[in-house]
Amino acid sequence: MTLVIDNVTKRFGSHQAVDGVSLTVEKGSMFGMLGANGAGKTTTFRMILGLLDPTSGSVTWDGRPLSYKRTSLIGYLPEERGLYPKLTVKEQIIYLMRLKGMKKTSIVPALQEWLETFQVPEYENKKIEELSKGNQQKIQFIAAVLHKPELLILDEPFSGLDPVNTDMLKQAVEHIQKQGTTIVFSSHQMKNVEEMCEDLIMLKRGSAVLQGNLRDIKRSYGVKNITVQADYNLNFLQEVSGVLDLQQNKDGAVLRVKDETIAEPVFQRIAEKGFVRKFEVEQPSLHDIFIDKAGVEHDE
Amino acid sequence: MNNFWITVAHTMTKRVRSKSFFWSSLVTLILVIGLMNAAGVLSSFSGEEDREQQNVAVLDNTSEEESMGEALASYEESSFAYENYSGTEEEALASAEEEEYAFVLTLAGEPAELDAVLYGSESDFQDGQEINQDVQRIKEGFVTNELNLDEQQLATIYAPVSFSEQPLTEGAEVQTEEAHNQAYWMVYALVFAIYLLVIMFGSMIATEVATEKSSRVMELIVSSVNPITQMFGKLVGIGIVGLLNVAVLAAAAFIGDAISGDNILEGLFSEAIEVSLLLYALLFIVLGYFLYGGIAAMLGALVSRAEEVNQAIQPLIYVAMIAFFIAIFGLNAPDATIIHILSYIPFFTPQLLFLRIGMTSVPTWEIILIIVILTISAVLINMLAARVYKGGVLMYGKFSIKNGMKQAFTISKKEK
Repeated sequence: MTLVIDNVTKRFGSHQAVDGVSLTVEKGSMFGMLGANGAGKTTTFRMILGLLDPTSGSVTWDGRPLSYKRTSLIGYLPEERGLYPKLTVKEQIIYLMRLKGMKKTSIVPALQEWLETFQVPEYENKKIEELSKGNQQKIQFIAAVLHKPELLILDEPFSGLDPVNTDMLKQAVEHIQKQGTTIVFSSHQMKNVEEMCEDLIMLKRGSAVLQGNLRDIKRSYGVKNITVQADYNLNFLQEVSGVLDLQQNKDGAVLRVKDETIAEPVFQRIAEKGFVRKFEVEQPSLHDIFIDKAGVEHDE
Repeated sequence: MNNFWITVAHTMTKRVRSKSFFWSSLVTLILVIGLMNAAGVLSSFSGEEDREQQNVAVLDNTSEEESMGEALASYEESSFAYENYSGTEEEALASAEEEEYAFVLTLAGEPAELDAVLYGSESDFQDGQEINQDVQRIKEGFVTNELNLDEQQLATIYAPVSFSEQPLTEGAEVQTEEAHNQAYWMVYALVFAIYLLVIMFGSMIATEVATEKSSRVMELIVSSVNPITQMFGKLVGIGIVGLLNVAVLAAAAFIGDAISGDNILEGLFSEAIEVSLLLYALLFIVLGYFLYGGIAAMLGALVSRAEEVNQAIQPLIYVAMIAFFIAIFGLNAPDATIIHILSYIPFFTPQLLFLRIGMTSVPTWEIILIIVILTISAVLINMLAARVYKGGVLMYGKFSIKNGMKQAFTISKKEK
């Protein structure tokens, strides 16, 4: 049971939304999809769900394309959250899950269990419009996972949540993954992707600019960071060839260098100048790679 | 198929359980029952139900041996109580002013050239007419008596002519005036009903779709159900709610009928309403509903916010209105060529073909042909609507029918 996206392209008239994207998500893994707004993440998700037909290429789950006959295998948390404002939590979950082929008698106990997990059992008979945004999001998440899907698609699951709820949701996602569900999720928040995903793809204007295993990506990404903590001005380090930029902060500075070999001349220049409290060559964060590759500031 | 019925049930229960449905049904119920009993309620206030026979003082100044006044006084079929007054005209008028009598009637001259004058203050013109008829009746009796006609001769004079109408071609129908009037009002009422239902439920569908879109629940729904299944589920669901509305109306009519005890319904069904016309009306309402409803769903899918619905369905309402006005015009000229031609156009068919069937005689082959055209166009339009719907539900932005449809087609494009 693998999700295979094979050389998929989607064109809307003259606009190329997704261009030749290929990826494979193994069963039970957690796959991250990164990209700035308009990079083609949602369009890709919609093609996985069968809401859109790819212009070329194919999307298959377990060797066959996903169609409406198999929607019960998929759970989906759309980026634009939305539930029926006038219906109670129970009413809408029953409706949505019956569409996924569940029986009413098995829906209610499962819902109560989930509400318990999220520490909001009292919301069962509350109308959605009475809940706060964050709590609505919990219900939205329950609507995506209650039917125990094989493949779970989460479009920006953590946006708009406070840290407590983010952690709660993260644990829930990890719990579901442990039970064998394959998860694909997109996020602007690199920290979450870094913590949770083994594999990822980064999209820019519809095509992949970076793809593969997170550790490999970081290792092969040439640019490194050097953190220096010293009590004097470090601006002179910019003169060292191979230093891409330098950002002063209150403790010292963070330098981005072309590759690891630049660390040596930098260290020598500092040693000439005087004492440092810290000198560290680090792997780049996904955040840095994202900004470098996607080429635009993202909103966090 | 399963998800289709789940959608139907969901759409229905959401509507039926809403407060607005409850109140509108209740108001209809009370209104209909009230109207049907209006006559009884009004008369209970004015107390006209058992009003006393009004009395009329008759001053007989004719030269007949047998008094016409006496004859009137003994005329029992009248709704007035006549009294042969023996005093003078002044006395009679004076006692009428004191309300001893409601009317004073003076008779003069020969029975053949009777001269009658009625004095009275009541404003009801029907009283005068009735009294006139009574006098006429008595006069006829006197005159025929004078002419020495016997009963048989009288009966011969009054025997009705046997008058019947035959159609020119075989199998056609000839419409009597009575039938024409019945058909006229029934067609009028049902054309109006078709118009009203199409507009009401058309906008209900569009609102329903647009609300789901604006609350953004739509994307979640269409990830589970095929949008096309969902669209038809909604159409059928709201259609059933509509039938439920009609059922409430019918129930109200029956309850009202039972309370009033006038048997209005029995009378209507046995005389005024042709059952076959009712069945045609039902057929046209259903077909018209699917034709207009499909388009309404499509338009609802093109808007992003519920507030834009009215703007979006305006063209559809105009078409329904034009059809309605043509039908009203056509009521007075159902044979007009223009009505004939327009009844072939699917958007006008429900009202105009119904009008033609009700008011004229339409050959069976033509009825079948036009209904087939209507059905096929309803299917085609719904297929088109479904395509636009599929793309439209994923689309957000400024509303424009032309661009919206183009965009929706691009999105829902079947590749390969």
